Amino acid sequence: METTAQTTISRRDPAQVMRLSRLGSLHQCRLSFMRVLTRRMARENWSFARPKFDIDAKGVGVAVYTATGPARTYSLIAFAHDLPPEMRSDRVIATAWDATFTLFDGVPTEADIERLSKNVPYQEAGRVNEKSLSVSRANRSVRLWAHFVDALSQGRQPDPAQVDAVGYLMRTTAVYGSGKLGAADREAIADRPELNAPFQAEMLSVYLTRVFVRDLVEHMARAKGGENAVSLAPETARRLGIGNSTGLGMAPYIVNHPVLFNNWIKAREEAIARVRSVETATADEAACFRRMLRRSELSAARWRSEHPVQIEKLASLQKDLEALAAWVASDDLLNDKPWDRLISWSATELSLEGQELAASLILEPYAELVDGLSDCMADANKDAFIIDGAMPVAQVRELLKDSFGWALDLDWSARENCARAWYVSEEKLEPRMGERFDEPIAEYEQPLAPARDAAAAHAALAGQDGEEPIAAFLLRHPEHRHTVRRAQMSLVAPYGEIRSNTISDRVLPIDMLRAKLSFFGATHFDPRSDRWVRICMYAGAPYPEDLSTANADLWVYPEADQ
Amino acid sequence: MSYALNEVEATAKRAARGAGYSWGLAEEASKATRWLCAKGIDGSALLAGLLEAGYAAKLPAHVPQSLDGDWLAEAPLCPLATGAALSDCAARLQVLTLAIGPVSQPAMILPFAALAARQLGACVTVEGEGFQSVTDGTRLQCEGTLPNEAARLTIRAAGSLSNPYPICTRAEPEEAAWAVLNRYAHKTYAPATEESRLLGAGAGLSDND
Repeated sequence: METTAQTTISRRDPAQVMRLSRLGSLHQCRLSFMRVLTRRMARENWSFARPKFDIDAKGVGVAVYTATGPARTYSLIAFAHDLPPEMRSDRVIATAWDATFTLFDGVPTEADIERLSKNVPYQEAGRVNEKSLSVSRANRSVRLWAHFVDALSQGRQPDPAQVDAVGYLMRTTAVYGSGKLGAADREAIADRPELNAPFQAEMLSVYLTRVFVRDLVEHMARAKGGENAVSLAPETARRLGIGNSTGLGMAPYIVNHPVLFNNWIKAREEAIARVRSVETATADEAACFRRMLRRSELSAARWRSEHPVQIEKLASLQKDLEALAAWVASDDLLNDKPWDRLISWSATELSLEGQELAASLILEPYAELVDGLSDCMADANKDAFIIDGAMPVAQVRELLKDSFGWALDLDWSARENCARAWYVSEEKLEPRMGERFDEPIAEYEQPLAPARDAAAAHAALAGQDGEEPIAAFLLRHPEHRHTVRRAQMSLVAPYGEIRSNTISDRVLPIDMLRAKLSFFGATHFDPRSDRWVRICMYAGAPYPEDLSTANADLWVYPEADQ
Repeated sequence: MSYALNEVEATAKRAARGAGYSWGLAEEASKATRWLCAKGIDGSALLAGLLEAGYAAKLPAHVPQSLDGDWLAEAPLCPLATGAALSDCAARLQVLTLAIGPVSQPAMILPFAALAARQLGACVTVEGEGFQSVTDGTRLQCEGTLPNEAARLTIRAAGSLSNPYPICTRAEPEEAAWAVLNRYAHKTYAPATEESRLLGAGAGLSDND
């Protein structure tokens, strides 16, 4: 991590940051992976093209979109399908979709497209090779799609209220990368500057998918309306994002990659600490913050959810925004560490939603303090996996206590504390969570309860000689090996562990999903249940033909006239 | 068929777990298998052979009885548990040569020798009858042929790489061995039930909205 910036305010304590309720309230910020990508593409003046668009009047066919940076070209190959409604499912267990995609490394030949057309449409049932960097699929928002095609085909623009109500024409239901289905491993591409930050290939794939979806809906409207059809108004197109429908599969990811997750959280915490340490703000910086706050209010006003938990959180957020506006109106935001004062005030006066929004917003005026931290968010530390067998037992006990002190005295045999179990279904290997005491799943449990396991390891270590190296204990107790590894990882990854019970009867997996999705840069989290969430990506972003350094970054905040 | 190394790693982890290893050792097995594949050695076949030996069910009989002195045993040592112990005790190699044996699938020890080499910042040499392997943690070279079982291995912090294997970015596992790994991996998947299908993933019943 960069250490050039002086901070007088230290990073927030992992014990505060890593509670699931707070992680489930995170918002996008300057370090979000979508913004990292669009900033780079604009800065490097990437060029874009659509060398192929062979789609018939029924909306079936293939299209290719290319994105070319300083060193390489990447191509989104999009296969459009005619999906019967009864087959439309966002679940992993689906077998057909409205559209399927692969991000291709380079420019595909006709032979490549032919090969991929026999595999990509089948997703998990197909195979790709190392020329594919991602494989993904998307389903239409049925209502909004029909409305758009009808309206445009009849020469009208779609109703803005309906656009706002849904936010996207298609939602992706999985974006696989890093070796899945035979695609290239992350390690094979991680040393390319443009793909070094996390999930850049996936974010590029989604960015180009949004262009394809816009083009496809216009194409379908023309096919239906002929001469009567009109193009989509640019301002409406700009408001459209790409939806994403995410189930439990994403939740294990942040538990299974503690060092990577640490790097994300730590980068944001470091950014917050740097900005809080700013003694005096300039008038421009204060004005920038005020503008982004106003635009956040617009974004929040467009954020819809029918889920009771999120409805309540949105109500709190509205109050928080009012309180923030009042606080900001009464302060010039210039002197006496204005951002630290704001954050300190928010910690007692705002809900978690509001606190984390404020923490993300104060970063906006400080590109030079913040943006470089995106270089620290990948995980290149392969050696964190290696257990230090010479570490004394007493030190391992201390590490377990540091991360999981709160969990050591919990009664882990009480039903409410271990009510759930995470498992993988044999049905298309869909990740699921079930009721440990009601379903026959315990023997298939995945290791996604680090707190429980830490308590067990701590108890097993209680009678051991504190001076003895941990290696001897691990030889006799391999069942604690994964826990000791994690405990040692916490030395390099203090923000690697969730400090809440991930198997309690009250756990909300959507909090884990949101934590990850917020780093993608997602907005408008809309839980469909306690373990399923829909979001929006790239709403407000410029399309490739409009992308410039002037609009590559702050697009995530809607403007009043948008 | 060509597989991504991440696929090998994921499958190996599930397979080792399905065969009865702890999660921690399953993680070691997956990294070890991947490491071998990246050197052009079919780690999947080695792991499959090892899992078929069934050591996981009676693992205490197949690990060193003590970490003091040499690690000699009556029953063949499991290279996953023994290899993990070797990595855990890497510092010992600075002062002594470790003898271990007999060891099943001794090639599976090499990735752990590599972990030791990384910790020591020096090459580690693994020697047995008819073969000698050297690794600096990242690269590997072998002379001779590694047997399915080695009566005795000596492991020391020594050696240098003159002719390391080229690094591979894809794996080509032998089909039968890959099927064995998938058979064990399948044991970690919960049978599909209608209740689980409806509730387990928490999605709505219709996405036609």
